[in-house]
Amino acid sequence: MTANLHADAAVPVRADLSAVHQRALDRLARPGTWLDGSRRLAIAAETRNSGRCSLCRRRKAALSPYAIDGHHDSLGGLSEQTVDVIHRVATDPGRLTKDWYQLVLEAGLDDSEYVETVAVVVTVVALDTFRLGLGLPPLALPTAEPGEPSRYRPAAAHVQGAWVPTQSKDQVSDEDAYIYHNRFGANIQQAMSLVPAEVDGFFDLVETQYLTGAEMRDFDNEFRAISHVQIELLAARVSAINQCVY
Amino acid sequence: MPAGRLLVAYAEAVVHGDAAAIGRTAQSIRQQLSDAALVDAAAVVATFNAIDRVADASGIPLEDEKAELTADLRADLGINDFPSQAGVA
Repeated sequence: MTANLHADAAVPVRADLSAVHQRALDRLARPGTWLDGSRRLAIAAETRNSGRCSLCRRRKAALSPYAIDGHHDSLGGLSEQTVDVIHRVATDPGRLTKDWYQLVLEAGLDDSEYVETVAVVVTVVALDTFRLGLGLPPLALPTAEPGEPSRYRPAAAHVQGAWVPTQSKDQVSDEDAYIYHNRFGANIQQAMSLVPAEVDGFFDLVETQYLTGAEMRDFDNEFRAISHVQIELLAARVSAINQCVY
Repeated sequence: MPAGRLLVAYAEAVVHGDAAAIGRTAQSIRQQLSDAALVDAAAVVATFNAIDRVADASGIPLEDEKAELTADLRADLGINDFPSQAGVA
């Protein structure tokens, strides 16, 4: 039985939420596909640190974030390029551009490593936003587990609409088919498919915090304490604030 | 919709990190809806605060059929003017 991670909340938190958040923390600490556990946790810590970065604050206030040069206030231990990815994705995602992404690659960050870095950032954002919504501080990050990343790159992944290479549900190899098991293969599920393990991990979180695809489309039944309509209202408002067009 | 304006205010408070507003709106959700509703609302806001970043950082496009179905709505709401859509960032 999983310990209640949110025992400090003023309200009872569903056990499945506590369990999925524990799984997410465990994933952060384990060797990933391209990054070891120490590096994944360094990215997680840097994600949290991005809110204290003066460069990010100036960029956020600027008409264009690309007009403001400078150095990020970082914790150290990661390259300036990686820190830039982490901070921009965490603090100003609505103004990321394909040109910027191309510059990231030209600066030496591998596309697979970029995707895994984004996956770690969004996992931390999901965990910390949930806690914030209950008026709680972020959960402590775990200790890194030893081991080497698998360095697995799916042969089927290629650029086909997104900036990053992806593999759609009808292209995915048998080895990676698990990422679309019980999933419709929506574009957002394809987005991180260059690193299949991150799709499965992130959507484990999504389907527990939000709804599974089948639940989302089942309007005859409600699965949460708020209705489908209330859920989608929240989703739409958050996405509008973030200026996300997806 | 029950508590629609309240849920919107809660989402705005959380995304903007406004602790005082989170406290006020969270308490109102508990009173008007339930404790469980607050937990589920927090979980949904957390999910989309993360999913938006997946979409924006990957450049994944909206599915063609969804874009066609929502074309008028997106134009009316000004979504096409968002920097990531217009490519003007």
